[in-house]
Amino acid sequence: MMYIVFIMSVLYVVGFIGFSSKPSPVYGGMSLVVSGGLGCGIIMGSGGSFLGLVVFLVYLGGMMVVFGYTIAMATEEYPETWGSNVVVLGAFLVGLLMEVFMIMWLFSGEHELVGFYFGGLEDLMVLGEEGFEYVREDYSGGASLYSYGFWFLAMAGWMLFVSIFIAIEVTRKRY
Amino acid sequence: MPYIYINIILAFVISLIGTLIYRSHLISSLLCLEGMILSLFTLNALLSLNINFTLSTIVPLILLVFAACEAAVGLALLIIISNTYGLDYVQNLNLLQC
Repeated sequence: MMYIVFIMSVLYVVGFIGFSSKPSPVYGGMSLVVSGGLGCGIIMGSGGSFLGLVVFLVYLGGMMVVFGYTIAMATEEYPETWGSNVVVLGAFLVGLLMEVFMIMWLFSGEHELVGFYFGGLEDLMVLGEEGFEYVREDYSGGASLYSYGFWFLAMAGWMLFVSIFIAIEVTRKRY
Repeated sequence: MPYIYINIILAFVISLIGTLIYRSHLISSLLCLEGMILSLFTLNALLSLNINFTLSTIVPLILLVFAACEAAVGLALLIIISNTYGLDYVQNLNLLQC
């Protein structure tokens, strides 16, 4: 169970190989959703529960849903999966083999694994006056977007607003 | 811990190769672009959390905002192509014949 974050990162790479070998975009989208979930798990292994939630809500729930609808609109009658085309299957197997060789190379050698700490600190413990307090790093970092990073917030909000108009005008062919 | 970083950077390189190699659909290259953004977000978030520099947690959030804008514009272009040619096959994009 110590290695759970490492196993999740290996499955993350396998998911990336799954949509990089270019099957039909329906299956590519599904593989990206699986990789997104595993990425959330990796981030949470280092104590970032806010950023993991951002991955699920904003990335998977916002951007991937739009991609899913667009793929459903522009897809073909018989989508090809990983097993139906030898090119896709070959690319997937080459990527998988590359990952397996890399893991075998990482875990060989004379060094011990004792020095590598696969876990992470959940919180940042602060010694206060009466005892210990906890500081959630990612929550306070996200909150500092509104105080120290106000200009980031203003620019990002303005850019989102303008990009809606850009998308509308581009779709109407008024570029 | 560095093993996890190696895997995430490898995922970025794999989806970069996937973006640059076209097969039949254009939207699968856009999907690989989204994969690049996801791996960059994961890497940024892990680095911010592991060096305990709280203020740099803003960077993955802002990266996600810009990625959403980029995905919107890319999908709008895909919609135009799909409206003109019926499907988003790359072989249909042959106006520039050189």
